[in-house]
Amino acid sequence: MNFEAVIGLEIHVEMKTRSKMFSSAPVEFGAEANTLVSPNDIAFPGTMPTVNKQAVINAIRVANALHMSIDNTLVFDRKNYFYSDLPKGYQITQNMRPIGREGYLEIKTDTLRTIAIERLHLEEDTCKQLHFSEYTLLDYNRSGVPLIEIVSKPDIRSGEEAMKYVEAIRSIVIYADVSDGKMEEGSLRCDVNISLRPIGIEKLGTKVEIKNLNSIANIQKAIDFEIRRQEGLLLTGNPIIQETRRFDEALKETITMRVKTDAVDYKYFIEPNISPINLSSDFINAAIASCPELAQVKEKRYLEVQGLSERDANIILQSKDLSKYYDDAAKHTNHFKSLANWVTGEVMAYLNKRNIPIENFFISPSQLGLLVNMIEKNEISNKQGRDIFQEMITNATTVKEAKEKLKIGTQINDDNVILTYVKDILDAFPDSIKDYKDGKDRAVGFLVGQVMKRSQGKVNPGLTSKLLLEELKKR
Amino acid sequence: MEFLDLTIRELHNELLKKTVTPLDLVKEAILRAKADNNNAFEYIMEKEALDLAIKLKEPEADNIFWGIPFVIKDNFSTKDVPTTASSNILNGYVPVFDATVVRKLMDAKAIPIAKTTLDELAMGGSGTTGHLGTTFNPYDKQHENIIGGSSCGSAASVAASIVPFALGSDTGDSVRKPASYAGLVGFKPTWGRISRLGLFPFATSLDHVGYFTRSVFDAALLLNLLAGRDLEDSTSSDVPVDDYTKLLNTDIKGVKIAIIKEIVDSIYDKSINAAFQKTIASLKIRGAKVEYVSIDRKLLGALFPTYVVISCAEATSNNANLDGIKFGPYHQGNTYEEVMNKARSKGFSELIKRRFVIGSFCLMRENQEVLFLRAQKVRKMIVEKVNDIFKDYDAIFLPASPTTAPKLGEASDRLSDEYLIADNHMVVGNFGGFPSITLPLGFKKNLPFGGNLTAKPFNEAKLLQIANVIEDITGFYNLSVRNKKI
Repeated sequence: MNFEAVIGLEIHVEMKTRSKMFSSAPVEFGAEANTLVSPNDIAFPGTMPTVNKQAVINAIRVANALHMSIDNTLVFDRKNYFYSDLPKGYQITQNMRPIGREGYLEIKTDTLRTIAIERLHLEEDTCKQLHFSEYTLLDYNRSGVPLIEIVSKPDIRSGEEAMKYVEAIRSIVIYADVSDGKMEEGSLRCDVNISLRPIGIEKLGTKVEIKNLNSIANIQKAIDFEIRRQEGLLLTGNPIIQETRRFDEALKETITMRVKTDAVDYKYFIEPNISPINLSSDFINAAIASCPELAQVKEKRYLEVQGLSERDANIILQSKDLSKYYDDAAKHTNHFKSLANWVTGEVMAYLNKRNIPIENFFISPSQLGLLVNMIEKNEISNKQGRDIFQEMITNATTVKEAKEKLKIGTQINDDNVILTYVKDILDAFPDSIKDYKDGKDRAVGFLVGQVMKRSQGKVNPGLTSKLLLEELKKR
Repeated sequence: MEFLDLTIRELHNELLKKTVTPLDLVKEAILRAKADNNNAFEYIMEKEALDLAIKLKEPEADNIFWGIPFVIKDNFSTKDVPTTASSNILNGYVPVFDATVVRKLMDAKAIPIAKTTLDELAMGGSGTTGHLGTTFNPYDKQHENIIGGSSCGSAASVAASIVPFALGSDTGDSVRKPASYAGLVGFKPTWGRISRLGLFPFATSLDHVGYFTRSVFDAALLLNLLAGRDLEDSTSSDVPVDDYTKLLNTDIKGVKIAIIKEIVDSIYDKSINAAFQKTIASLKIRGAKVEYVSIDRKLLGALFPTYVVISCAEATSNNANLDGIKFGPYHQGNTYEEVMNKARSKGFSELIKRRFVIGSFCLMRENQEVLFLRAQKVRKMIVEKVNDIFKDYDAIFLPASPTTAPKLGEASDRLSDEYLIADNHMVVGNFGGFPSITLPLGFKKNLPFGGNLTAKPFNEAKLLQIANVIEDITGFYNLSVRNKKI
């Protein structure tokens, strides 16, 4: 019997706003514990929430990128439950009226698939717990950090699709300047709901939840494992137990965390401390307009307008900072393909070797644009370009300084001037002409080398070869 | 020294004349507070107040609150001053910030001298349920009668002339009812008119900052200071702040006042009815148009249950932060549930737990529709009905309570009209967020009782104008146990 996996994802995105969702405390990853805390974040009696405008703008950007309809009234609800990481005893979230509703996302596997998205809502993060054998420590730096929760419809069918879906969401929140999307730091967290059913059957099987997935690769691995596990159980006539599991990286298996009993009643009701806020269409449109260019749009521009290869476009788009560097450099040159070659070649090689992030790369985008222009205008050769680049990264110089230091003059591209050099050299090396006529091709290299030497390296090597061959044939 | 027997405005003039200094006032207020035998105080801020008073040298002519001592109900956050809301669960809690109203008063150089008792967490109307026990009524030396609550300690402080004014909070009638039992002006403005930041929440949608004074003029002066938008309370209103004294001492010719017939009909106390009718007659003589209007008895009978459902539901959520983990007494446990369970079991009285159980029950998925959401609908119906009245009338005038302060332990029949309608009608002011004021109307057997005026939102100036005329009619200006006018 063949089974079909029915998978829905809940993704929590931590936003990198300046302050928290409902308080003025700063948001920052990795700060000393309990240093980024306002009285609200510890739920001291009498504190009140105020809505972070940038967080709302961010949510609108993402909702728009996911083709969702955006509610024109902002309403928050309380989700009531007791837990040690929940300072107020309730979480302010959006239950009845999520800011985004009914969207979709297209992903490419073997085919193009559309994954429907049910809702996107704003809420606040809980504080972070550090468990030890005898005690638990609480870090309220995370308490109140703005979150976006994105809930997909159960449209996903495989681990690969789930991975692609999360990658696409991650790209959107990063490029929209909403989050750093770092799963390893918990900025993007993913919970999976998964059940199996025989192909062709409408009715859903028993659902299992997988939590604590800390990388995109693990999402795929966990789902693939879970599909095999459930398949195994079903084929041997064993029931699937409704439960929450986690993915164990070492075992590469999902493991039971807790068996779900009755669903918790969160006793939702409207947050009385925040009067409903009208979101005017001007505000919504401005939020959308303020959204930086998304990767998908960039890709289209790279391929269709700038003519980059799919390979180069993909490499550049893998990092928002790299694509920003490329875009900045592209403002200084029209030779996009050559620029892309430089960025994905020399630049990346250097950064990878030294393990330097692009934002710390000291050759400015305009300098790289300048260098590309010089090569493309044949003012310098490719080889000279690489020498200049080397000099620039070694001694932190500008293109101009490097060129002067290496005594690279402006390349000679004039046929007549080059021809004079060529003739002089052929006259001086008759043996080499003979070698050439005897079929010894390396004679050409030798002669070009001599021309370069005579001209102090200033002649255009390509042009020189061409003219030399023509002249050789005449002799 | 009798200066503390004066109103804020009178005291201000004495301070300007330098017949008395803030330090003198604070010392006297603290003496009186220490001599208090009504159990009005959670914490007397002796050192804090003296430190502030000693710094005040030159009186400020344009600052009416300069050097005026006052007290704060112990459910307002006060930086570095212990604040328990009269609940054991907050024993030892010392807030890190000042409530906006406290900050505004201290910026104006008014001097807080004490935190006052309340019904535990402001949930109650008797003044008997705080963790320090019953707070008594200064008018009753035998300690037989209640003062009412929940702002019991604040009411007692002003009625005993320990201070000329006191901060309170009003979720059902927690300022306006004790004001009736203690012969005071008790006022709460429109919901959103005064910032709630720093007020420990009981039922957010009903909670108001309120206060006690001994004159309507003082109530208007306080509103001038405390009203206004607070960016940290996003429910605070940006409607421009008025000069709330501007209509005082102008005549009320043509002002239209409504009396709700069914509420008056539910009051059987002859003294109260007589005083009320006498006041109406005088209002008419002064040119007001006073007319009876009707509200369906069923709707009025729903006031109390609707209040119970909404207030308990919001309270259970608002107080979920009190779990013993972050502040308040900590109790060791093996799991977080055990830690929380111990803190909440030991920290709350049975009455509070009962409210939380009711609130939780009303919010449960299977009950929400029939209890919580239905209560919201009824609330809306009541508010719409009252708004209809305000289309034709400037204010509604009613007795604030059907009796004088009841005897301790005297149970009222909770299903009678007297209780359901006459004893709970002021909650309408909280349902609609209407500005509402109680002020003395008379005495019965040496115990005071008050009348209540309610107006449409943001009509405080008009409300205070009418109240001021009533004060003039009754002559009960600056009433206190030391200043009796019986």
